[in-house]
Amino acid sequence: MHIQKFEDAMKACRFCFMCRHLSAVGNVTFSESDTPRGRALLLDKVSMNPEFLRSEAVVSTMYQSDLSACCRFHCVSHYDENGLVLAARRDIVEAGAAPENVGKLAAELGKSAAFKVSGKKADTIYFIDRYTARQPEISGAFDKIAKAAKVPYMTITGGCLGKALKTLGFENEAKKAASAFAKALAASGAKVVVVSNPAAYDALKNDCPALGIKLKCKVMHTSEFIAGKLAGLKLRKPAGKASAVYYLESDFLRNYNEVAAPREALTRCGFKLLPFGTNNEESYSAGEGACVLPELNPGLVKLLAEKVASRCDDAKKDTLVTASPYTKHVLTKYAGLKVKTIEEMVSSLL
Amino acid sequence: MLPSTSNYMFEMIRSELTDAVGKEYVDVREADRFAHSVDYYWIPEMWHDRNMPNPQADLIVHPGTAEEVSKVMKIANTYKIPVVPWGGGSGSQGGALPVLGGILLDTKRLNRVWKIDTTALTVTAGTGIIMRHLEWEVNKAGYSTMHLPASIACATVGGFLAHRGTGVLSTKWGKIEDMVMSLEVVLPTGEIINTLPIPRHASGPDLTMMFLGSEGTLGVITKVTLKIHPQPEARKFRAYLFKTFDDAMDAGASLMRSRLRPCAIRLYDEEETRHHVKRVFGLDDISGSYLVFGFDGYEKIVDLEMEEAMKIMRKYDVRDLGSKGGDMWWENKYKFFYPPYMFHMPQAFGTLDTVATFSDIKNVYHAMKKVVNENFPEARFIGHFSHWYEWGCMLYARFIFEKAPADPREAAALYNRVWDLAIRAAIANGGVINEHHGVGLKLGRLMKELYGPAKELVLDKLKKELDPNNIMNPGKMGFGF
Repeated sequence: MHIQKFEDAMKACRFCFMCRHLSAVGNVTFSESDTPRGRALLLDKVSMNPEFLRSEAVVSTMYQSDLSACCRFHCVSHYDENGLVLAARRDIVEAGAAPENVGKLAAELGKSAAFKVSGKKADTIYFIDRYTARQPEISGAFDKIAKAAKVPYMTITGGCLGKALKTLGFENEAKKAASAFAKALAASGAKVVVVSNPAAYDALKNDCPALGIKLKCKVMHTSEFIAGKLAGLKLRKPAGKASAVYYLESDFLRNYNEVAAPREALTRCGFKLLPFGTNNEESYSAGEGACVLPELNPGLVKLLAEKVASRCDDAKKDTLVTASPYTKHVLTKYAGLKVKTIEEMVSSLL
Repeated sequence: MLPSTSNYMFEMIRSELTDAVGKEYVDVREADRFAHSVDYYWIPEMWHDRNMPNPQADLIVHPGTAEEVSKVMKIANTYKIPVVPWGGGSGSQGGALPVLGGILLDTKRLNRVWKIDTTALTVTAGTGIIMRHLEWEVNKAGYSTMHLPASIACATVGGFLAHRGTGVLSTKWGKIEDMVMSLEVVLPTGEIINTLPIPRHASGPDLTMMFLGSEGTLGVITKVTLKIHPQPEARKFRAYLFKTFDDAMDAGASLMRSRLRPCAIRLYDEEETRHHVKRVFGLDDISGSYLVFGFDGYEKIVDLEMEEAMKIMRKYDVRDLGSKGGDMWWENKYKFFYPPYMFHMPQAFGTLDTVATFSDIKNVYHAMKKVVNENFPEARFIGHFSHWYEWGCMLYARFIFEKAPADPREAAALYNRVWDLAIRAAIANGGVINEHHGVGLKLGRLMKELYGPAKELVLDKLKKELDPNNIMNPGKMGFGF
């Protein structure tokens, strides 16, 4: 079983409570099984009784993990409970025990992996993923910044580049999708691929090499791209109340990759970053790490979004900024919050 | 007792509970019942590790208000179903384990911060809030509870109240019982009561103190008002290496007798210094007994107190590790409790924490060490002293077997034997059975030896009066089934 590759995390986390306060799902369901300890304990039982893998208890618990990796980020030893859950999902899929809705979603995602490159030949290519495509104001803002920075770019569109499939436990299908993306990217001749969605960033930075797929171009999150171009942009200084914003950390950028560019870009533009909630360590994940949680469990995502809303100083007035189109989408849709992405914040100053 | 799940009566009772707290808050899922069957007590961990089934609750309820807790208690009394309160489940004494099944009352929905009173400097909160979340809320308002235990991230406030917990700054700021102003409690029979709004009075016995440490056997604490404090301007630490533990203990006691007010003192015996402190700090040249202390408050006063404390230390043959050596402890104070630094399977381990006066504490330490070393030569005995009072200090002694017997029954028997002998040695020398983890399932059998006739004449009668059907957390604190 794949979970055996994460035996160190399984054994370390099964009796450890030290990160429970950061368990986004556990903090809204109040269930012990929805904490890193609870999941590791369940999977430890699976390791002793493999037939338990197919139980509803294990399957449903694994598929409602937020996969935020806040626990790994917090842990002094950085045990990878996230990786353990992903391995369990892979085992569940390979055992033919994936829930029907998961199988159906994976089939749809697999079919969506057909990528199209548009625009004149350029060194830079911008990937418009599913969540960015749903919110055209994000790609519009990127376009404004790229034009101001005089960076010509192509676009690549299509569906899942493998991240959501991998997250669901469909490793082979994820590899196929990632390969299709890599092929389209290679054919474009681009030297730099820029993505707005941190999930796509993580897929290209980490998943592709792990799947044996080599990309020939540099991968950048839009915040990194913007931070690199700020010196050449003529930006107004944000004024008055609009200059104070709350930045919500991205699961993928902070917990998976430790990318500091979003904060850097905002502060260099003159925004004052107010501490959201009580501090920067608390988990305000709305399920970004799980990529497709709204499709699988919208009720749970609503709870997560409402939890974030409950931490706002003033939910009606506060401007929240995120580096994640996913987070913008779910917080807007499920909690009615006012959320902007880095691209939108910076482009508003042009 | 609850009928089996195949009996329609089970569904009748479940319906009543659903009516009381809402459908989404009555849980019978196998995953959650399983996760609630293991807390931080070594026995259920070992039982799980040996692939043995731990006792599980039949139903898990998540009430959101004291009124909902009250309804659950009334239903449980009607059908005489055991009710086990569960906060964070991070207790090390088995106090939250549903050993007889029944209803597990998870308090984590009681997580509201009701009020931060910046005039009286108090915070009122539901007891299901994770301590770290409460501390962050209080920090945001510019204050601190000063309750900073290693379990801050995982235990609920209610867990600390139920087990009389303590934090790393207890030497100045007190244990949880020193921090409490008042409590709201749901009695085993379902009535909701409040203790007096202030902790100091001459208006009869102290009800607040009666419920603190009762470990869910006398009711469910649903709300608490705690003291809060301004964040100190400065907090400074300094560490020393003593050649012997005895010298270090004398120095620590002298510091307390001087009536200076350190916020923390921690003294590690030679064995723990050699193995654990060295490993966590990554230091190579450390031996002897490590002592660290700190002061907090206005910087001028902190500096003055530190200067006086250093004069006391200089009377001994010590190596001054300076403020760097002290800061290292403060920065790593919780690291000891994360894997792999914390003890873990296949080891068998336990924390034999106790407390005694300065007149007795060395005897307690040496007696416990002797009894463990002589009876269990394969075990290691280590200890540190982490909560200090004007009159004595707490011993956080631990025993570690590198490997416990594979047979779970043999392992449990060995484990219990260590506790029996070591705790009896502590009691015989002026110690008690526990200082800040509680009694729970682990130590209940020793309560009579500790209290003598008072156990039967006072504690048992109190329990019987408040909980006539004996449904509250049965099997814990020595109250039996």
